[in-house]
Amino acid sequence: MAKGAVKRNAPALATAGPVSAWMIIFVMLPLIYILLISFMTRSAYGGIDYIFTLDNYKEMFQPLYLKVIAKSFKLALITTGICLLVGYPMAYWIASKPFKTAGNLLMLVMIPYWTSSLVRLYSTNLLVMPNGFINTALMKLGLIDQPLDLLYSDTMVLMGLLITCLPFSVLPLYSSIEKMDKSLIEASKDLGANSIQTFFRVTVPQTAPGIAGCIILVFIPSLGMYYVPEILGGGKVMLIGTLVKNQFLVTKNWPFGASMAILLILITLAIMLIYTRFNKLEDLEVC
Amino acid sequence: MKKHIRILVAAVLVVAMALSFTACGGSSEDNGEVNIYMWSDYISQDVVDQFTEETGIKVNFSYMNTSEEAVAKITSGGGDAYDLVMPCDADITSLIEGGYLAEINLDNVPNLDNLGDAYKNREFDPENKYAIPYLMNYVYVVYNPETCPVEIKSYDDLCDPQLKGQIASVTGQRNLFPIALVSLGYDANSTDENEIKEAYEWLKNYVPNVAGFDSDSAETMLINGAASVGFLFDGQASKAFAEMGDDALVVAELEDPVQLGVDELVIPANAKNKENAETFLNYILDAQNMADNLQTMMDLDGQAYACPNEAAVNLMGDDYKKAPALDIPKSVKENYFLQLDVGDAAKVYDKYWTMLMSDEQ
Repeated sequence: MAKGAVKRNAPALATAGPVSAWMIIFVMLPLIYILLISFMTRSAYGGIDYIFTLDNYKEMFQPLYLKVIAKSFKLALITTGICLLVGYPMAYWIASKPFKTAGNLLMLVMIPYWTSSLVRLYSTNLLVMPNGFINTALMKLGLIDQPLDLLYSDTMVLMGLLITCLPFSVLPLYSSIEKMDKSLIEASKDLGANSIQTFFRVTVPQTAPGIAGCIILVFIPSLGMYYVPEILGGGKVMLIGTLVKNQFLVTKNWPFGASMAILLILITLAIMLIYTRFNKLEDLEVC
Repeated sequence: MKKHIRILVAAVLVVAMALSFTACGGSSEDNGEVNIYMWSDYISQDVVDQFTEETGIKVNFSYMNTSEEAVAKITSGGGDAYDLVMPCDADITSLIEGGYLAEINLDNVPNLDNLGDAYKNREFDPENKYAIPYLMNYVYVVYNPETCPVEIKSYDDLCDPQLKGQIASVTGQRNLFPIALVSLGYDANSTDENEIKEAYEWLKNYVPNVAGFDSDSAETMLINGAASVGFLFDGQASKAFAEMGDDALVVAELEDPVQLGVDELVIPANAKNKENAETFLNYILDAQNMADNLQTMMDLDGQAYACPNEAAVNLMGDDYKKAPALDIPKSVKENYFLQLDVGDAAKVYDKYWTMLMSDEQ
């Protein structure tokens, strides 16, 4: 009987087994560990005392941490908004091209992302240095006489988030715009709607899955991304990601860091839950 | 003719080999090993080879990436994999408290006397039983006299509004709060929440003056002109000097004490080769050996490290003593504070640090 069961399940074990084992060992177990220590206490010298407490979660609701969370949300929302506003027309334009040209254009969107994102972020820093390209060019053109103070600011962090997230908005938008039934647009025009009406009442509803996908794929990463504020904020801009990192590496308050990480996971799950209420996960085109 | 040369070369080689065999023969008896866990490129291989030759003790190195790893190697898994580990001074208290360190038998380490008096019997290890300082670094202030609008005499000067966006700074709560605390006349490692809060208020005036926080490469901001002042490690300053020239920067002669970070060598409580570890400590504390160590590292990668071994420093030539990042005013060198373990107050520091960093930039 048992032997039969093994035989029946052998193909499943052989194909899905290694990945499942990998996921259990390297994703599930660490997550469970993080969940557990988020309820523990920091010992005086930075270790973990296995004493149950809810303080780590209460702590999060202190105004100063709420401020950090709020700021992270704000930056993530602005990033998502801009990615949508920039990505939609771009995706629309690409989708209007013949299939082959569209493929090439999408390739152009992707190519910059073949380099390491760290390299791209560091070079962004070099661009805006006081003696960097932008300031030198503006000064040579006589537009400014003092170098602009661009380096290490909230604005640069926002730029960094945009640079990192833009392709994640163009791709899902493109795929849903491309699938759209174009004859409906003609029908709408035939029936007397102007182009603005057509856009909002025909195009937008049809591409809603792409819009939702764009929001998810941009909002979630930009909320937790920690290396962007680290590099472009010059360590001066504190977002959730940096806060979590500090708890683990600097303060050695692992339990509190773990509880913040759990909060991030819960936010992500909540967003996914809302998404799946209205859309199918497959529409994300990445799963 | 050619044949003669070949024979000659062969003969020389044979003699050389024979000699090298006898050279090893003297001390090739196997005296066990010593396992050391430390930063990479932080000791001269020549000096280590010499040690093995003289004592017959084999040295095995493993390398760390962060000082947290050094602590982890001592505290987890029984701590018996290594005989010498290199944590930084700030971690020593918690390691002693936790009972993770072995007492060093100082009878085996007479060369301890070579250390400067300031580096013996320090407050976290009053009888020098647990930690032996190896090399160290200062966190001090340098400025570019051409572009810096103020002459910096104290940490308070770093908060001068004229310096807005001018300072290339190391980051981290435990590097920045101390300068605020000592400016206010408190202990650099205060655990009093009111004092830390006052330090936070002080730092609110410092942060707007910072061009960027970067503990790895703050010197780049000085080099490319983004900053005119640096609050940084001497190693970073040394790179800035190398790039900009010895006269391009000045090490500020502060009236306040500077932070000194020391890389310590400790023996974990369960180390298997404790006596060999002590032999190694004594060897590396020898004035000539440490001087050779400093010199080789300087020849190899141009990095001159500050060293607590006064007898060794006295043996060094001018290229070391006059290295601009190390040749700092005596008043700065002698007036220092250490970063100590603050225990639970780390949470208080973190709270105010988060507050400081979450303001609009």
